[in-house]
Formats: sequence, structure tokens, C-alpha cells
Amino acid sequence: MNFADIIRQLQQDTYGAGAEPVAGVFGSSMGSLGLFLPELLLCLTIVLLLLVRLFGADRFVPPYWTALVGALAAFCAAVAEFYGLRGAAPETSVEMFTGLLVYDKLTVFFRLYLLLFLIFVVALTILSGIPDNEDGPDFYTLLFGSTLGMMLMVAANHLLILFLAIEMASVPSYAMVGFLKGRRKSSEAAFKYVVFGAGTAGVMLYGLSLLGGLLGTLEFPVVAERLAVAFSSAESVSLSNPAFATLLLALLMVFVGIAFKLSLVPFHFWCPDAFEGAAAEVGGFLSVASKGAAFALLVRFCLAFSTVPGAELDGFGLYLGLALGAVAAVTATFGNLAAYAQTNVKRLLAYSTIAHAGYMLMAVAAMMVLLHPPEGTADLDGVAAAIEGLLYYAFVYLFMNLGAFTVVAFVRNEIFSEEIDDYNGLVSQAPVLCVAMLVCMFSLVGMPPFGGFWGKLEVFAALFDAGRLHWFMWLVLVVGGANTVFSLFYYLRVLKAMFIAERPENAREARVRADSLQGLYAIVVSVPVLVLGVVIGPLAATVRNVAEGLLSAVASF
Amino acid sequence: MTPAPITLYLLVGAVLFVCGIACMATKRNGIGVLMGVELVLNGANVNFVVFSRYTELGLDGQITSLFVIVLAAAEAAVALAIALNFYNNHLTIDVDRGDELQG
Repeated sequence: MNFADIIRQLQQDTYGAGAEPVAGVFGSSMGSLGLFLPELLLCLTIVLLLLVRLFGADRFVPPYWTALVGALAAFCAAVAEFYGLRGAAPETSVEMFTGLLVYDKLTVFFRLYLLLFLIFVVALTILSGIPDNEDGPDFYTLLFGSTLGMMLMVAANHLLILFLAIEMASVPSYAMVGFLKGRRKSSEAAFKYVVFGAGTAGVMLYGLSLLGGLLGTLEFPVVAERLAVAFSSAESVSLSNPAFATLLLALLMVFVGIAFKLSLVPFHFWCPDAFEGAAAEVGGFLSVASKGAAFALLVRFCLAFSTVPGAELDGFGLYLGLALGAVAAVTATFGNLAAYAQTNVKRLLAYSTIAHAGYMLMAVAAMMVLLHPPEGTADLDGVAAAIEGLLYYAFVYLFMNLGAFTVVAFVRNEIFSEEIDDYNGLVSQAPVLCVAMLVCMFSLVGMPPFGGFWGKLEVFAALFDAGRLHWFMWLVLVVGGANTVFSLFYYLRVLKAMFIAERPENAREARVRADSLQGLYAIVVSVPVLVLGVVIGPLAATVRNVAEGLLSAVASF
Repeated sequence: MTPAPITLYLLVGAVLFVCGIACMATKRNGIGVLMGVELVLNGANVNFVVFSRYTELGLDGQITSLFVIVLAAAEAAVALAIALNFYNNHLTIDVDRGDELQG
């Protein structure tokens, strides 16, 4: 192949297969750029945000309008793809940019998830006014840059992109956590976050380099094949084989990086500090978006290492699943226990975030165990159910956690406090915020008829299924169930303060009417929590479809 | 002259990595911790370049190390800005002195 051929191939891959390369973007056959449209729109918005300020136009066009329009445009582009207006959502996966990214149903789903969330966050920042007009462009640039990184995370198909995307999502978040100027707590939170994040990123990169050297490839689709070749005999899968020991070490190091993003125990230290120091809006963004993206990445990474059925490494996949289950159980328990003693609502929500990462990790653990049964072949239906549980949970989690952080942000704007004691008797002054908090918190506990109940039910059902293959998953299930009961108490403590305690005489007033914009926003965010708990069918069918699309790629090799 | 065995190069990478981790774990100075991070990233970079020469990883390894060099610079810029912000508020960059957030 000569140089001109390579260039032509690259052009075709980028612009589509048309004779006129650029026309391919709008034509029927889309190249990578066409599929990349939502991300490109976000990039464009970032450029616009900076340009608008450069020309001094931000006095006439507030930066949040640019941000909101950009987010909406990107969302519309993604929705159009979802419904197949511009080429149907693919049955199997399509590789973008010479195999660096993959475009499949999971990509489409999480792209919509992240963009929807971005719109909600931008709207929230407009209503709560956290970045003032002057800082708006900086804040939204960071916010959009971080979202862009997360969108790359969910589409990663290459270990280089895995690392780049995680960093691209993390680096702007460090700055966002420290965005509140002149606050000691905020600067301390950002400092801790950046030191911890940079450290884990370094460890992860070293693990990736070992993996690359061991397997001779960085591409996800080739990994399983190479693993099967490298560890083909039973003797090679033992700790006395240096290559296998290196593989374990490398995987452990990569999981350190992912565990940091997911705030899993023992890499959770940054989470409560960062959330307490950052504005509630930023906390809400980090807790939902980066968790969702990191789980998509984890699922992809785990599936890439799921070898051909019957290979010697099958047992290894099983143990990977069990290890994830153990981490999940510890994380959920720790998060819930530590949340008890908190007096600051944001810190309490941070620990609740850790606990929820544990619940969602249980679904991934169940997926791995179901995919690698100790004997016999994997029941792909069960695996799909586990992924379905994870996605359902993640989707409900978007609304319920955002709702909780929204209430915290609005209440902070009124009473300038985030202590639980200062929430006493709020229901008499801001009933709509209190009811929204009630809905979100009961959903976080997992009570019917709220969405969180079905999310938890699906995850626990997958765990139950996995328990039939290995007893350890029963244990994880029991821990998960017990945790659900524990968690009730600390959520109730907040609700008790809001609804039952008397509002002290000298307390600041917090009047938020239901027909104010803030009130409407709280309603808009909390209604889906209720709806998702009552009308389960459409979302469940969609995520099932996504899960099966993802598995069809795995089952085919 | 025969080329050096791959083990030697990997040893350099591993020594850099261990030094970096030790630096991160023991330094109380925030800048010192960030320097440890740079050592770790460069240890990984050495690995990538070596593997691209000695295994079938090929150019992927070298490209990755290039990306990581750029990324390390970007991350260092953000980290130093945050460290400066911390200094402005606390008049120290001792990581142990950040103890207002606990619980």
C-alpha cells in the first residue's frame, strides 16, 4: 500500500465512502465525522463561548445562552441519530476514526444520557446563578470539555483513548471543583482532588503500558484474541507464570484509575472532600455524569477481556467478577455507614454517591460472573439482564441525584447554608423543594413506587441469577439488601429535619414558590423519578435493546 | 554492538515508576507530589517506547507516549494553578495542612 492509498483510506474513514469526501458528511453514508457530530457541536460551542467574550459581546449575549443552545443542538443531533433520522442506530458496532472509537448502541445511549444531563446542569446553573456573567465562559468551557471527555470515555475502543478520555474528563473537573473564588474549602477540595487524580492516572497509565507490551496491541477488539493466544494452556494461567502475574498487576493498576473515577473504596477519599468544597451544581455534575461514563467504560473494558468461551482464561473472568463483587459490597457498606455521621448535606450526598457506585458495580460484577459461569456456557440473556439493570439504574440515578443536588443548590441560595440543622422546618417556607427532596431521597433508598426501586430490583435480580452460579454473589446480594435498609435512616434524618422539625424563629427565610422558575425546575427533575417508577416498560425495553446490541458484538467472536 | 536487552529498558521504567510512587507517598509538599506524578507518567512512557521497539505494539506505543507528554503538560498546568490557588488561601502548599474538610 503506498502513501496515497493510506491517505485515501483515511479520508474515506473520516468523511464517509462518497466520491466527494466532504459531501459524505451530509450524504447517506456517514464517515466518522458524521457520527461524531454531537461531539463536534460541543467543540464548536466551546470555541463560540470563548470568542463571544473575546469580542466583548458577552454583555449582550450572556454566556449561558450560548451554552444552553450548544447543549440543545448537540442533544438534537444525538436524538436524530437515535431515531435513525440520519442512519439507523447500528445493529452491530461501527468503528470510528480507524478503530479508536466505537459507535454502537451503548455509545448512542450514553451520549444521549450525558447530553440530556448537560442540558439539565446548564439550566440549573442559569437558575442558581453559580458562575456569574463574568466567569460564565470559563465555567461552561470546563463543563463542556469535561462532558466531551466523558463522551469519548463511553465510545472508547482503544487503550490510548481510554486514558486520554479519562484525563479529559478529569482535568476540567479539578478546575471546576476549585471554581469558587476565595473560598478556603473550595481550594482545598480542588487541591486534594487534583493530587489524588493525577496520582491514580499515573498508576493507570503504567498499567496500560504493561498491558500494551504484554498483548502487543492497544485495541479492545483484539485484546481477547491475544489473551487467548498468550494464555492457551492451563499452566500459563497461574501466578508462577510471570506473564500472568504481569497481567494481573496491569489490570489491577488500570482498575485503580477506573475505581478513582467511580469513587470505589479504597479510592474514594477525594469524593466527600471534593463535593463539600465544590458548589452543589458541580457536585451534581460529577456524581452523575462521571459515574455514568465510567461505568460504560468499565463495561466495555470488562467485555474486552472476556475471552472466547471455553478458553483457559474463563475462570479468570469469573474471579474478576467475584473481585468486583467484593469491592462493590465493601463500597456500598462503607458509603452508607460513613453517611450516618454527616452534618453537611453535600457531604452526606457524597457518601450516598459512593454507596450508589457500589450498587451499580454489583451489576457489573453479576455481568462478569454470568458471562463466565464455572461450568457450562454463558446464558447471554442473563448477562443482558445485568447490563439492563445497570443502565436502568444509571438513568434513574441521573434524575434522583440531580434532584437532590438541585434542592441543595436552591436552598443554599436562600439560607446560605448546607448544614442539615439549618434545614429544620423548611417545608413551611419552600414546600415544593421539600417534596422534590422527598421524592428523590425515597427513590435513592429504593422505595416503590419511585424509579430507584426498579433500578435496584433489576440489579438485585441479576445478582440473584449470578448467585446460582457462585455462592459468593448471594453474599453480595445480602450485603446489598442490608445496605438498602441501613441507608433509609440517614436519608430520613434529612427529611425529618425538613418536614417534622420546627423552623426556628431567627432562621433565614427560604421562600421558593412552586410557580417560580426554581420551583418548576425542581418539579421537572423530580417528576421523571416518579414516572420511571410507574411506567417501566419503555425505558426497560430500550436499555434491554442496548444491552443486547452490546452483547451481540461479544457473542460473535 | 549488540542492542541492549529489553529488561534493562524496562528496569529504567520500573525504577522511575517506583521513585514516583515513593515521592507521591512521602512528600508533604504539594509540588513534590506533582513531581512524583510526572516521574510515574514518564516511567510509563519509557515502557511504551520500549514496547514499540521490541514487541508488536509498533507505532501505537510511540504515538501513545507523545500524547501522554502533551497531556502531562496540560495536567501539570492545571495542577499548578490549583496549587497556587491553595497557596493563596492557606499560605502553604503542605498537603497535610489542608484539614478543614474531614469526616
